[in-house]
Amino acid sequence: MKTYDVMVIGSGFAGMAASLFAAKRGLSVVQAGGTGGIDFSTGFIDLMAVHPVAEQRVWEDPFAALAALRKDLPLHPYAHVADDEIGAALEEFTAFLGNNGLCYTGRPGRNTLALTSAGTVKPTYLLPCSAWGGVEALEAKAPTLLVDFHGLKGISARQIAEVRADWPGLRTARVRFPGMGGELYPEHMAWSMADQARRTELAEAVRPLLGNARFVGFPAIFGMTDTMAVVGHMEELLGRRVFEIPTLPPSIAGPRLRAAFDRGLPALGVRTYTQKLVSAAEVSGEMFHFTAGSGSTAVRIAARGAVLAGGRFFGKGLKADRHAVREAVFDLPVRQPEKREDWHRAEFFDPRGHEINQAGLETDAALRPLGADGQPFHPRLHAAGAILAHQDWMRMKCGAGLAIATACKAVRELSQNL
Amino acid sequence: MDFFSAGLGLACLSFVLGLAWRVHGRPGSRLPAAPEQDRRKSGLAAGLADIILLRRTLRSGKVRWAGHMLLILGFLPLLVLHAMDGIVTRPLFSGYEPTLEPWQSARNILGLAALAGLALLAWHRGRRLLPLSRFQDWALPGLLASILLTGFLLEAAKMASPADFERMVADYFPEADSEEFLALQALWARENGVRFERFLPTAPEILEHGRELHEDRCAGCHAPTATAFASRALADALPARIVLPRTVPPIFWHLHVGLSFLALALLPWGKFLHPLASSANLVARGGRRDSGFPATALGRNLALEACTRCGQCSLHCSVAPSRRVLGNADILPMDKLADLRSWLDRSLDDARLTDLVEGSHVCTECLRCTQVCPAGIDLQDLWMSSKAALSEEGRAGVDGEFRKRTAGEWALDLGSRRLGGVGSSGTGLADRAESFWGCVQCTTCTGVCPVVAVSTDPQRDLDLTPQQIMNYLRMGLKAQTLGARMVWSCTTCYKCQEHCPQGVPVADILYELRQLGARTLRHKGKP
Repeated sequence: MKTYDVMVIGSGFAGMAASLFAAKRGLSVVQAGGTGGIDFSTGFIDLMAVHPVAEQRVWEDPFAALAALRKDLPLHPYAHVADDEIGAALEEFTAFLGNNGLCYTGRPGRNTLALTSAGTVKPTYLLPCSAWGGVEALEAKAPTLLVDFHGLKGISARQIAEVRADWPGLRTARVRFPGMGGELYPEHMAWSMADQARRTELAEAVRPLLGNARFVGFPAIFGMTDTMAVVGHMEELLGRRVFEIPTLPPSIAGPRLRAAFDRGLPALGVRTYTQKLVSAAEVSGEMFHFTAGSGSTAVRIAARGAVLAGGRFFGKGLKADRHAVREAVFDLPVRQPEKREDWHRAEFFDPRGHEINQAGLETDAALRPLGADGQPFHPRLHAAGAILAHQDWMRMKCGAGLAIATACKAVRELSQNL
Repeated sequence: MDFFSAGLGLACLSFVLGLAWRVHGRPGSRLPAAPEQDRRKSGLAAGLADIILLRRTLRSGKVRWAGHMLLILGFLPLLVLHAMDGIVTRPLFSGYEPTLEPWQSARNILGLAALAGLALLAWHRGRRLLPLSRFQDWALPGLLASILLTGFLLEAAKMASPADFERMVADYFPEADSEEFLALQALWARENGVRFERFLPTAPEILEHGRELHEDRCAGCHAPTATAFASRALADALPARIVLPRTVPPIFWHLHVGLSFLALALLPWGKFLHPLASSANLVARGGRRDSGFPATALGRNLALEACTRCGQCSLHCSVAPSRRVLGNADILPMDKLADLRSWLDRSLDDARLTDLVEGSHVCTECLRCTQVCPAGIDLQDLWMSSKAALSEEGRAGVDGEFRKRTAGEWALDLGSRRLGGVGSSGTGLADRAESFWGCVQCTTCTGVCPVVAVSTDPQRDLDLTPQQIMNYLRMGLKAQTLGARMVWSCTTCYKCQEHCPQGVPVADILYELRQLGARTLRHKGKP
């Protein structure tokens, strides 16, 4: 059995990032994880936007927000990663995505307000190039046509226009999506856009509605692996700037990210076991032994180091039953509310969030999860991403950034110990 | 008209009429034409090599191959050189006499080889194919073995028969006096195994006299009977006190010749035709093991006749376990082909037709039977085209029956049945609340589904999408899902199950619903 340098457990942002960074640093990497979290991504890479969450304070400068965060919440995982390292990690990460057909953009050192499918804006740091036109249109309040489709749930141009009463130049239209009827699903539509004839049909349906619009916004369905080529072609056909608005999860953004990693990581030499949750682990002296998958398709994997990046509950890194939360692979101690009734506050939309959303693994400064004795569980076991305690990435708007930054730090620390 | 002429005439008549009957219907024309015909030329050499070397039979097992080889190499020369000696051997070889060498020993060697081949085949069938065998599978080798055995018995009886000896002497040495007759008798009794009633002298001078007479009168047409070693051994095995009555050799002759005529008469029927039909099919197939060549009406007619009932397809059938569970013989290719042939002839009764329809829909078109068939039959093509032809006539199998009505109509029809469901005592995946605990109705299963992707309007074409089916099931509404065309259109590609973030076994559940639907229809007594 081959012994890898690093076993990455998890295939969301943190797992993908850890595999990428480890492979780029010349380590032999194996990765296993279920399908899950990343399929539900908005496609936005948040760095840090809201702090303190109770006050809902939105920061334009994510690094200023990080500085405040480290001061106020010294246990937050970001406290273990320096700004330089975060910046470099994001750059490496988005460069990789760009090389695999997924272009990202943003403003250095500044958050951007991105348009969502509900018509609200969301502060984020980096966004898909295909959505950037929406930012420009929104900021300039430019004459814009928002198009949606009969049968596509989760996005309504009219609702967006109603919410954005501050944008009088926004008009809406609903058209039939060529070649499909009834209820529509973004992935099917995205694949069908690979056909240039479909794009032409769509452009013909939209062209009479253009009027004075300078921008045309569509639900995110422009291709799976070549989005910017499709957007470019649509711009050519319509003679207008074209942008995408991510639809309600699961949108096409998640599968695009997964597809980019499914193509790019094996090319870097990473052995990926997709759709296989790690079901068991043993530690014997210098070695880890993992079992990924179950039944007849289960595989055994040996590695000298490991990064736990299985996410929280939806990613299955943590398991909650009706009484307590447990870590899924090593059964590491999980920092959590003492009593079940403390998991949630009385109000679901309480601005302070819920205690259970801070649950996770406690680590040392090198992001090594602590065992029952308060010492690192293993010198070469690190953790990254949402599985870490003391963060509420959803409310703080720091999910992908935290995953990428902690993955970078975990891999760097691990590589020094191999 | 004597026995021989009458028998031969009747046998030939049966052969000709039977063959005409067998090919007259052109049953293959009932099958829809293949959309695209492969225009490649057939490999005649490969087809001939398949026949002569039995290459495809070799692939299916050494015992079957050895048995067939021995049988063919033994029987075919007997048929040509012995049975048809009057029109083949005698004109070709001057001075031919069946009782001379090398004919006598050759006959025995060939007969034994053919018998050994038959023994191997019977042993193989008994060991591997007993449950698949029917009457004709034993009748054909049994008839061949009977012809061969009666041949040996006839030869042995003639050797031992004093009446035959006397008849020959009367014919070819009529002037023999009693002393000469006795000397010849003594020699033939001693050397050639004739059994006489009276005691014969053994004095050397009498035997010597007999030998001179033999050389003069008999040896021109008679090699020593010992060269017909097998028959002679049979004759010698006769207890010493038994003298064959005059009637015995004619009895064996009538049996031997009569059975041979019977074989000729039966040749167009059932698997008796396979030596001809399979060979023709092998030539037509030109060595190909894939499907779709030649998908012409003639090619299909040949294919329909070429089955040897060797059972290889049924032994290798990838849905054979379904046969054990459902008990339907038409799940296995060999029996399905026979019933398909009958259906094309419009001679299949309704119960068997129900079996045929079910069998053709259990088939996964995996191509295995086509690849292993020693007769080179393009079974895949027959299955695909007959499935279409059956559907055309309204016999579309379980999924076809379900598609005739909407999910809502089925829900009304099946609502009163005990189909299980969440909260019931059923043990299926769809009966367990745990199966759906994780479901957040996120639509990922539907979003990745290629069947949903190719439908222009999922609601109209499929009734329900996968995630809607999961939602119905977790509410215990199984009857509402059973007739959904999504269930019956699922390709079991497992994308839904593999992409489900919550581990819901979507594809397994859809498959389970299909099994339940099939069972429900079966018990309804519908096709």
